[in-house]
Amino acid sequence: MFRMLLFFLVAIGVIPFPVSADHSPKIEIVGSTTVLPIASRAAERFEKLQKIEKFKSSHRLRILVNAGGSGVGIHSVAKGRSDIGMASREISPSERKRFEGSHLKVHTVAVDAVACVISSEIYEAGIRDLTRQEIRDIYLGKIRNWKEVGGPDRKIVVVDKERHRGTRHVFMNYIFGNPTAKTPGTILVTGSNNEEQTKIAQSDSAIGMLSYAWINDEVRAIGIRDNKSIVNLTRETIRKGNYPIVRNLSFITAGEPNGEVKAFLEYLKSPEGQQLVEESGYIPFT
Amino acid sequence: MNPATFEKGMVFFLTILTLLVSSLLLIILATVFAKGLPALHSGFLIEASENFGREGGIIYQLMGTLILMTGAVLISLPVALGSVIYQTQYLKSETGKEICRQFAQMLNATPTILFGLVGYLFFGVYLETGVSWVTGSLILAVMILPTLQVSIREAIEALPDQYKDAGMALGLSPWSQIKTIIIPQCYYGIITGVFLGLARAAGETAAIMFAATTFSGIHLPESFSDPVPTLQTHMLVLTQEAANPEALAQAWSAGLVLLSLVFFLTVMAWILRSRLKMEAEL
Amino acid sequence: MENESHGIMWVFAGLNLIFLCCAGGLFLFLIFESYPIFKLHGFDFWLGQDWWVGEAYGALPMLYGSTLVTALACLLVLPLALAVAIFISEFLTPTSRRCVKAILELLAGVPGIVYGLLGVSFLSLWIKDVFGLLDGNTLATASCLLAIMILPTVLTLSEDAMRSVPAEYRDNALGLGLSKWQTATAVVLPQALPGIMGAVLLGIGRAMGETIAVMLVVGSLDRIPDPWFNIFSSAQTIPSKLGREAAEAIGEGTHWSALMALGLTLFIMVLLINFIGNRFLKRRSIS
Repeated sequence: MFRMLLFFLVAIGVIPFPVSADHSPKIEIVGSTTVLPIASRAAERFEKLQKIEKFKSSHRLRILVNAGGSGVGIHSVAKGRSDIGMASREISPSERKRFEGSHLKVHTVAVDAVACVISSEIYEAGIRDLTRQEIRDIYLGKIRNWKEVGGPDRKIVVVDKERHRGTRHVFMNYIFGNPTAKTPGTILVTGSNNEEQTKIAQSDSAIGMLSYAWINDEVRAIGIRDNKSIVNLTRETIRKGNYPIVRNLSFITAGEPNGEVKAFLEYLKSPEGQQLVEESGYIPFT
Repeated sequence: MNPATFEKGMVFFLTILTLLVSSLLLIILATVFAKGLPALHSGFLIEASENFGREGGIIYQLMGTLILMTGAVLISLPVALGSVIYQTQYLKSETGKEICRQFAQMLNATPTILFGLVGYLFFGVYLETGVSWVTGSLILAVMILPTLQVSIREAIEALPDQYKDAGMALGLSPWSQIKTIIIPQCYYGIITGVFLGLARAAGETAAIMFAATTFSGIHLPESFSDPVPTLQTHMLVLTQEAANPEALAQAWSAGLVLLSLVFFLTVMAWILRSRLKMEAEL
Repeated sequence: MENESHGIMWVFAGLNLIFLCCAGGLFLFLIFESYPIFKLHGFDFWLGQDWWVGEAYGALPMLYGSTLVTALACLLVLPLALAVAIFISEFLTPTSRRCVKAILELLAGVPGIVYGLLGVSFLSLWIKDVFGLLDGNTLATASCLLAIMILPTVLTLSEDAMRSVPAEYRDNALGLGLSKWQTATAVVLPQALPGIMGAVLLGIGRAMGETIAVMLVVGSLDRIPDPWFNIFSSAQTIPSKLGREAAEAIGEGTHWSALMALGLTLFIMVLLINFIGNRFLKRRSIS
């Protein structure tokens, strides 16, 4: 019994060992959950391409993709903990200053919009658009009920994001003109796009912010109204630049990329890579 | 109301309460099974996950969890065994023993997220093991140290004094006593500890989510510096996606597998512990 | 021979030292890493109400959230644990008692992430419907989840405390003509009370440090509920804050130091609770 167990333990323990001498190249990517679908898809395809090209070599390229948020992505690439960071926002001036020595370089691959989203129940009750001022007042806690903006008599569940998230930066920058604006009206704070999507879908009177690719039947995007003209969120309005809250999705390296990292970034910018961007629900960057 | 009726009423009330509590706990188990089984298709345990975990199986996540917990026990066992033997066989000072006991309790009570953060900074950054399964195993090893210690200590302290007296009478050195009497006589205790430690390591998420895991890109680790996907973090990602029925179903199935793994290890530990008791009574 | 034996002893001593270093090192590490923030803000760190990375680091909302969540979980667990432990230990036959205890011990090992999943997909929705709330991710949800989580542990330990009351007490009481109920409540329970307190405290210590399950349902809002006793509003606990923000700051800077100071605070709180809990348990076994 004891021997059997010991054997079993050692057997599992040594699985990683036989190949440990072989240092096959590895790219580590960390950051924004918005960019993650692109990175994950591209990594899978790129690994396969490399396998075919270098068929005889035992060195197989591996690309690790991890979530965390734009702040984490920028921080970890600047500190050398990963090879590429993913960011769904610009590098902020304070980050630029803090990581001056790392020579961060931005490689934009896609265009995305940040939608102001609401629960489907509210959408069906007639709210199809809001003005910037209304959204601002909702987040400031001045408007607390949907009926104040023409909706049903129901309190608003204001969903915010963790402060370092890229989506929040972009959204708040448009609404308040300040990416790190304080929002006293907040009821809930979420992290990834998935989490926020879930919380809004589970609620029947929520408002929040989400990337374009996360919008579905339960989580509806609303238009931004401005002096009676309404801009709805569609592929067209993003592409034409009419929709006001757009952003670039980018990969960040410390210094000029080279070797495998460079090849991977070039693949992302190639027509095939841009096809993957489209598959992930974003607009290719041209 | 006469006292006898009152008492009967109270006992009845307690019976109901106990039944409620037990059924609450059983309902939790039943829910995991009821939600997990439907999505548990035939290939779930042997297929790789696809489409961000929403489809396919969990083979590599399961392997990752197994690697982390096994590594943890392999690292932790010698330290636990050595320190308990030192404390019970060599250490004479009562103060020393008390300090060791307090430290073990302290380690046992520490919130697991602190192991994750401090462990990552200490092992991953200062000792340069990076975000890897080695870091994860080291962190988990520290975490399960008290669990292993308690089981081993129980086994050693349950040894009848005659054994030690007989060893002394034969003129055995402390080391020979340990080698010929203590370790062979205690190995059911040691293995009980191993299983309990494995179970505790398998269920832990917070300690490894920063230091040892990856979302995609790695199937099995190929070197010491590779992270692994794990069942726990896989579940965490899918749970945050609970509005998506596909993801939720996969999360339940992964939860069922994780729960079965933990239960299996715990039941193994019990079986061995009862063997231990039987031998002690002989 | 003597030499070899001595060498072996040093090996064991060394292993023991590794163990002591793990435990002590953790504590020292936390103090060392959180020193900068205390140097910067002093004790105001614990009193500040704003946590805004780069501007202010105030731990009060997290501190308050952690305390309230665990206190509430304690309130939920204590009466249940007391009642059920009396029943299991005094009124059940030995066979069924062993059965119940086995189930409890098994349940004590259910991973936190499984409770998190239950919380997200059931509990938070139920609480929202039952209490007619705006949203189900609240302090109360987290407390309920924690109460369910620690119930098996607390029950097992409380039952142990009841069983450890010597059998003579029961026999004497029954011999004096007291009923089973009177024996249980008037003789056994007072004797076992410190042990039960200890059990609850150990459970509470565990609950306070739980990260994943709480993080998923507590709402993660760094603000003291308004009014302060409003348990149906979102809040933040220390472990949940660490789980959400640590990846961004890891390793250096004021932000990291502030997070480590939160960790240190949590560590000390849990240790204190645990220390007192163990004292209670020990007093029982000595007397």
